[in-house]
Amino acid sequence: MQPAAAGAMSPFHAGVFSLVVFTVLVMLFIASQLFLAAWLGEKKKSPEKSRPYECGIIPTGSASFRYPVPFYLVAIFFLIFDVEGAFILTWAVVYREVGLAGYAQMSFFILLLLAGLFYIWKQGGLDWKEAYNRADS
Amino acid sequence: MERGVQPSRFLNIADRIINWSRKYSLWPMFFGLSCCFVEEAATFTSRYDLARFGAEVIRPSPRQSDLLIVSGTVFKKIAPVVLRLYEQMPEPKWVISMGSCANSGGMFDVYSVVQGVDQIIPVDVYVPGCPPRPEALLEGLVILQDKIMATEKPSRKVFHLGGGTQGTDRPILVNGATKSGDPRGPGYEGLPIRGTSIVPGPLHWGNRSDLMWTPPAHRRELSETDQAMAAELRERFGDKARLEPHSSDMPTFEVDPGSVKDVLRFLKNESKYKYKRLDDLTAIDESARRDSTWNGGLAEGISEAGLAGAFSRRERGRYPDFTVVYQLLSFDTASRVRIKSGLDAQDRARAQVSTASITDLWPSANWYEREVFDMFGIRFEGHPNLHRILMPEWWEGHPLRKDYPGRATEMAPYTLEDARKRQPMDAMELSTLDNKGPKGDTEFFLNIGPHHVSTHGLLRCIAGLEGEEIKSLDLEIGYHHRASEKLGERQSWHQYIPYTDRNDYLAGSSLEFSYVTAVETLAGIKVPERAQAVRVLLAELYRLSNHLVWMATFAHDVGAMTPNFYTFAEREMILDIIELITGGRLHAEFLRIGGLAADLPEGWKKAVDDLTAIFPRRLWEYEKLLRKNPIFLQRTKGIGRISLEEAMDWGVTGPNLRACGLAWDLRKKMPYSGYENYDFEIPTATEGDCYARYLVRVEEMRQSIRIIEQVAFNMPSGRYVTDDYRYAIPRREEMLKDIETLIHHFINVTRGMKIPVGEAYGVTEVPRGEHGYYVVSDGLGSAYRVRVRGPGFANIQTLPMMATGESIADLISIIGSMDVILPDIDR
Repeated sequence: MQPAAAGAMSPFHAGVFSLVVFTVLVMLFIASQLFLAAWLGEKKKSPEKSRPYECGIIPTGSASFRYPVPFYLVAIFFLIFDVEGAFILTWAVVYREVGLAGYAQMSFFILLLLAGLFYIWKQGGLDWKEAYNRADS
Repeated sequence: MERGVQPSRFLNIADRIINWSRKYSLWPMFFGLSCCFVEEAATFTSRYDLARFGAEVIRPSPRQSDLLIVSGTVFKKIAPVVLRLYEQMPEPKWVISMGSCANSGGMFDVYSVVQGVDQIIPVDVYVPGCPPRPEALLEGLVILQDKIMATEKPSRKVFHLGGGTQGTDRPILVNGATKSGDPRGPGYEGLPIRGTSIVPGPLHWGNRSDLMWTPPAHRRELSETDQAMAAELRERFGDKARLEPHSSDMPTFEVDPGSVKDVLRFLKNESKYKYKRLDDLTAIDESARRDSTWNGGLAEGISEAGLAGAFSRRERGRYPDFTVVYQLLSFDTASRVRIKSGLDAQDRARAQVSTASITDLWPSANWYEREVFDMFGIRFEGHPNLHRILMPEWWEGHPLRKDYPGRATEMAPYTLEDARKRQPMDAMELSTLDNKGPKGDTEFFLNIGPHHVSTHGLLRCIAGLEGEEIKSLDLEIGYHHRASEKLGERQSWHQYIPYTDRNDYLAGSSLEFSYVTAVETLAGIKVPERAQAVRVLLAELYRLSNHLVWMATFAHDVGAMTPNFYTFAEREMILDIIELITGGRLHAEFLRIGGLAADLPEGWKKAVDDLTAIFPRRLWEYEKLLRKNPIFLQRTKGIGRISLEEAMDWGVTGPNLRACGLAWDLRKKMPYSGYENYDFEIPTATEGDCYARYLVRVEEMRQSIRIIEQVAFNMPSGRYVTDDYRYAIPRREEMLKDIETLIHHFINVTRGMKIPVGEAYGVTEVPRGEHGYYVVSDGLGSAYRVRVRGPGFANIQTLPMMATGESIADLISIIGSMDVILPDIDR
């Protein structure tokens, strides 16, 4: 890893104090909201109320069983590519500073991602119907 | 002392703040039970704009809402669901009961309807009307807001101080104890319900219709095709299939129960005329018939067997215990045939009666036979899953039998305990009954409906899912069974007209049209030209208004919210015209036997012209929102296909059939009421998928506008009701001048006119397909039997076939594209 260029990151100084105050305030705010939501108001528990809602009918069977989720695959792929986005966006901020070397590195990174995407696509990972057919066979 | 006052002052202020906030942020829940919901839905569109009152968003789930608007008829089958949804809402919660049905059962004092939702959940505000106009619902909301502000003290409950009031705190009412169980209100105990004596059945003695004379039922000459077909049958079956000498509407054969299946198979497959469609299958309980050939004293008849509910065989003369009626249609020759088969029960209680199932001839017979079993207790040998279809499984008795009490007020009142105990059947159990049980270990059941935005009413789909793919689909209907057919047997011929509107609350007069056509065919009544034209005008206006609602909801189902707000604007314009002409919005109740209730009012032409001037352009604008929308196209093209062969075999009618490529439209193929005089086309599409159904309906709107233009331009002058006052309610101005007419008026308005003995089927092309009424008269002031042939019943039966193998999201677009409405499925 190369040492970061001077000035690329903000210096560590007393500004951190305001960050701490901000964090504490946010925590307090969230805690108060959670507390008020939980405490205020009337709560009546009844078996009907705690039953899952299924269009007004009593559900059949339990919700815990082996469930084929083609969407799961798509969701995981999205997550992976989404996280890569974090790198690319950071790069955009320091685009001028990192110069041509950074550009080359990011291009390589993006190409690698694209290759992965095409591979998944070719394998049928984005195709929901495909996932069903595989589950059938 | 000082200390005690401080907190209460604080609490008072808190009360006011909380109440004020709650008042303007009520979150109503979507729970459309029937007609009233259409007005509720109109309330949040642009013209009425519910959002002005802070009740902005109508939520689809009880978890996110605090105001339950019970809009429509509370059926005994759906009541447990209403109760559950109420209990699943968070506190505090309020209830508005919208419409007469929810308030008290309204005009539906029948076996399947709870006589007021306040018997199972507490109600804050009652909105009267049938249905209440959107303005009335808005007022109900304002009254509820005032009630919250004026009477509730929520802060003690909010801060856990004990005491305080919020939400609904009224007790639920007990029929007969804290509320009157009499549909007329308190104070009438001991007086028989008006009209009891005229109802056919064991108590019809004293009926004065028998003193009136009418000409015999209309006799129709057989067409050449009919005669050829009759000759064919005679040659093949000889004496086993006997042509009835006279019929009012179509050739009718009496066939021995043993050969009825062979006759039907012959007519479907071998006959030259190919009666490909099973139009309808139903039954008649003949036990309360009065044979005209038998002249003994009626008083004797009621003595023993009569009061027990049924006349004995001897007294009924030529009538069997039950008649099963099959009605077929030939697409090639545009003709129908009726096959009747008399069944005699094996025992006195008439519990054992059966005939052969024809489910292997027509797959659509499955539901029809289940319905006959449910309503009459006739068993069908060889039926794969014969069990109840409209009534819940726990139901006792068969409602359309003559000895079954028709009124809810004659039965034990429905109570909170019933609503807890009588739960809808478990999905697994029901699917097993219908041979659609789970197949793999990954399959599970999901209930979609009866409370669901996209089922367009109280329809329950039980999807056997593997992941998101539908492996099996079972339907449960009957949540909206409003006993329409039983009602026809106790309301006089005219009184039944308002009930017909409610058999399809988006198509209004179109249904009256079918019913009056049936009665007019039976009695041979000539309708004046002007009345015919106005009927066409109203039917086409309702077709437009229905298709606009369909377009909006279909788009909404596949994710486009915007068209809702646009199309409802034109719909209001159409409803304004209908209101100008008829005085009603959803339910016009304007057609009368022999004509109309009144003449066209002044200014109708301009209103219609205004509509026809702007409509085509508006429609084009709305189409732009959808037809070029890639999401809409992706979710409709190639989804939910049905082939033409299948559609014909399953008895699919209306735009759903035409979307498969067959130009079959009654308005062209069997014209009625002067449709042959108008220039229009039958739009078709070939694909048979959701998109094809969309294309057909949109094009139909253009054709309807063409018809409306022509009707309005060529409106004939003359009478609006027939002058044959034996069968009509006379015009008032004539009634006041002529004693003969006055007598007719008196008779026809009070005990109702007498319709000659006979039967007839009347059908028109309503927005959803062929909606027909089969009326049977025993020569009395009300029908002996009214059969409602709803297009939805046949159409929706194909849903499992269309949806199996598709993903669960596609199910929603398929239901949307089929334009289902529950009252014509469950009736």
